[in-house]
Amino acid sequence: MHERLSFFVKRDSPIHRLNPMTKVVLALSLVLIAFSSPWYWTPQAIFLLAIIPLTFIARVVKEYWSFFLKVILATVSFLFIMQSLFLPGESRIIFEIFGLEVTELSAQLALRNATRIAVMISSFTILLLTTHPSELMSDLTRRGLPGQFAYVIISSLQIIPQMQAKAQTIISAQRARGLDTQSSFFRRVGAIVPLVGPLVFGSLVEVEERAIAIEARGFTSTRAKTSLHEIPDPSSERVIRWILIALVLVSITLKLWLS
Amino acid sequence: MQNAAIQNKRSDSWLNIKKDFNTMTWVLMPVAIAINMAVGQIVATLRLPVYLDSIGTVLVGVICGPWAGALTGALANTILGLTINPDFLPWWPVAAVIGLVSGICANYGLFKSWWGVVVSGFIIALAAAISSVPISLLVYGGITTGGTGLITAYLVETGRGIVQAVFASSFLTEPVDKITTAMLAFAIIQGLSKRFIARFPRAENVETDENISRTQLYIAIAVVVLLILFAILLLGRLTGG
Repeated sequence: MHERLSFFVKRDSPIHRLNPMTKVVLALSLVLIAFSSPWYWTPQAIFLLAIIPLTFIARVVKEYWSFFLKVILATVSFLFIMQSLFLPGESRIIFEIFGLEVTELSAQLALRNATRIAVMISSFTILLLTTHPSELMSDLTRRGLPGQFAYVIISSLQIIPQMQAKAQTIISAQRARGLDTQSSFFRRVGAIVPLVGPLVFGSLVEVEERAIAIEARGFTSTRAKTSLHEIPDPSSERVIRWILIALVLVSITLKLWLS
Repeated sequence: MQNAAIQNKRSDSWLNIKKDFNTMTWVLMPVAIAINMAVGQIVATLRLPVYLDSIGTVLVGVICGPWAGALTGALANTILGLTINPDFLPWWPVAAVIGLVSGICANYGLFKSWWGVVVSGFIIALAAAISSVPISLLVYGGITTGGTGLITAYLVETGRGIVQAVFASSFLTEPVDKITTAMLAFAIIQGLSKRFIARFPRAENVETDENISRTQLYIAIAVVVLLILFAILLLGRLTGG
């Protein structure tokens, strides 16, 4: 049972040492370029030339590929198969199955869309594997993100696993007293109330106490807060960030210009 | 006196962003995000043909206001997308629209009776369907993962254009899900004590004078069942013709 929902793997790598903001900009610009570039092969190139090398540099190859096999592969291959079967496209037919045609055009589009999704998920996965959520949040707060946002995000990460565990407990408890969660459709619809009710009311009860507790700790204070933990941000990284932003802008302009 | 009343009325407008956020709102938001996720998980365990993964968002929208609801929706999808299921991630604008629209509906007094709740569920569904179309097309190229994607695929295969198919499948799947969501959120609010609700910024949205009658609830459920049957019929028509 995780105490906190986080992918973070503690390693010593150049990527881990980067400022969290640089990693966020890197992830976002890879995604935006993959989606906006006018050239057909860009998403595939980003996947092979950026995502895969990054996993090596960040020394998270094993973690990345296990996530890839468990989550990304299923999503992406489902998307690819569905789209190549069903996207309309008038071109040479590659093969037919159950009267559904896979044409050259639909397979090409499907490959591009699926790779784009793979790039999107992968770049965020790498970001999360190499960045501790609290470090990301304290850096963003230092840059002017309101503290309340950081609170919502960090405490969601804590509450979600607790709530998942609570949901499982309630399901088991209600099953133990004989609640039918597996038979006919109407029985299952009826099971919503005894399952959702205790979960929701139970969790809402804590809200008021928590509000009092954080208010007592100066949550609503508007004064600047100091931090014990310094996060380095060298000027070289600032340059990298601007270059990445420029690349995204170039990619979007080219797309608009060429279409 | 009169001036103060007008002032008060204006500050109650849903456009007043500041009003939505007090400490209770900020504390409720992470809990609402976790409720979205956990209820979605329970519904998946029960193998029901709905998602119900925005109950928390609607709840915040109704008792804290549209902007708090929108923020909850957007953050919920971002956080769940980054930690549990990446499929959530691209849909954050839709989640924000759901929170916003449910807040606006509540501000116009629709969350005071079961009738109003069914109507709001329908309005939320329309807004969600409209806002999800560009995302389906831009991010997924039309055919998304999951059940809605299968319906879209079927419609494309029976000779409809991709844009038309995406629209049709969203409008078929959203209403049932969102009306049920709105009704469950309302049921939760009814179950909470007035003293607790009063601490949230827009508690007046759900203030009711008389007790909500049971007949109203039964009629509302009947309306939902009719809608489901109608959607199935429509689906049959679309795929048959």
